Amino acid sequence: MNHSDTTPSDLALRDLSDVADAIGNGRVSSVQATEACLARIEAWQPRTNAFLRLHKEKALQRAHAMDKELARGERRGPLHGVPMAHKDMYYRKGELSTGGSEIRRNWTAPVTATVLQKLDQAGVVELGFLNMAEFAAGPTGHNVHHGHCRNPWDGRRVTGGSSSGSGASVAARMVYGALGSDTGGSIRLPAAACGVVGMKATYGRVSRAGALARSWSLDHVGPLTRTVRDNARMLGVIAGHDPDDSTTSEKAVPDYEALLFGGIGRLRIGLSIPEALVPVDAQIGAAVQAAADTLGKLGAAITPAKLPDFTALYRSAEVMVKCEAAAMHRPWMESNAPYANQVRTRMEAGFFIPATQYIDALRLRAHFVREFLELAMEGVDAVLLPAIPFPIPTIAETDVEQSGGPATLSMVARFTGLTRPFNTLGVPALSVPCGFDSNGAPIGLQLVGKPFDEALLYRIGHAYQGATDHHRKVPA
Amino acid sequence: MDDKTRLAAEIARQLQGLAYDDKRLAEIAAEVEVLNDAVRKAAAARLTFDDEPAAFASLMEREAK
Repeated sequence: MNHSDTTPSDLALRDLSDVADAIGNGRVSSVQATEACLARIEAWQPRTNAFLRLHKEKALQRAHAMDKELARGERRGPLHGVPMAHKDMYYRKGELSTGGSEIRRNWTAPVTATVLQKLDQAGVVELGFLNMAEFAAGPTGHNVHHGHCRNPWDGRRVTGGSSSGSGASVAARMVYGALGSDTGGSIRLPAAACGVVGMKATYGRVSRAGALARSWSLDHVGPLTRTVRDNARMLGVIAGHDPDDSTTSEKAVPDYEALLFGGIGRLRIGLSIPEALVPVDAQIGAAVQAAADTLGKLGAAITPAKLPDFTALYRSAEVMVKCEAAAMHRPWMESNAPYANQVRTRMEAGFFIPATQYIDALRLRAHFVREFLELAMEGVDAVLLPAIPFPIPTIAETDVEQSGGPATLSMVARFTGLTRPFNTLGVPALSVPCGFDSNGAPIGLQLVGKPFDEALLYRIGHAYQGATDHHRKVPA
Repeated sequence: MDDKTRLAAEIARQLQGLAYDDKRLAEIAAEVEVLNDAVRKAAAARLTFDDEPAAFASLMEREAK
């Protein structure tokens, strides 16, 4: 097994919340935290390829500025002075934003993403931008243009994608938190594969303005962090209505961190090891069952959950993604721009699907939500299921560009089998580490809730992390 | 080339201004057939005249915790 228990003596190993509070009360400076992250990046970047661009001097200047503000008694909020980096699809005006592609390798963003503006206002120190699947299209972390991202637990294995660098950088303690995005699992898959926490909040909870789109209908913006508490803090900063994204909700954003501590004694959690959707490896099922047992010991009532037949939902989601991606990529597709083969071929059907089918897929969405709430969520507060149904595979095993045979394609397709439904349903889903497989790679569980019930998922996840130490393990 | 592949070729050339080889057109035609059939059947079983895409956002707000 390639991990070790550590004590948080190294500043970079401490949790986001811990470091943020230490910065806030003057026990640690933002510059110290930034330098600690830069040292981790120097050590881990060659092994993971998590960063596409590192802004060392700019980050240190920003950290100095944040420290000066604190010295004047000005604290912007609970993330003041905390170093982070983000998937390279969040636009910053006047700066490069590649989207993990060759096509946009030298493209300069004309606006700054709303979520980056919010993090700026909160005093976050931006270390740079992170590797990702080309145009956020791919669940493994492969990238033929910028180099594959590698799992910190085992460099031969995938990170999960598409937010590959976000998962790897948080897991390797290069950053305290990172933004990812999730169209079919792209926050939860790297979170699970790298042993960190990832939240895909309710559709409309976080603004997508200024974020490179994969599918407008299914894209979700969200944080990856080391602990549930860190995640709650970060979501609390980035969530909320945005006039620049008409799909955002005007609902007030709860104080997620304050709501972590209610206990789970009166909650009912539905457990699903959904073999009917995708085959679930025995050791993955056992780890999720063990997590259910832990939650049961903490007082939650664990009951079997029955998920709907998602066959029609899967197909409807494919129709949405392919049609929307084909529309936005058309100019590049027409000019034979340099896409990876698997990225281009996944969009092509979108040019041939009738508009009526696309519209019907959108019309079906409310029906799918009702079916899910009536069947799976009836009488329970949350559903517990695996995030990835099998042990984390190697980069070679899942390299569809090099060996796109049926077995490889099947494995890659199964990657998102348990995450994709919740993008179409729009409900919140949280990935939390729950153990390690026989290869020493992380296993992730998934908690799914009712619309806008992120606080409850965080409460369950926080209680679970209070009783377990999977999230305390650090790649060695 | 079967009828569906031929239709895909016509759509590509006449409606979308795109060029694909016959092998790829056959793959796309098969993929589209599966997706179209699935959505058509799901729609027939669930949708009424008054269903509209915006019902999703309304439902999420209504069901919010």
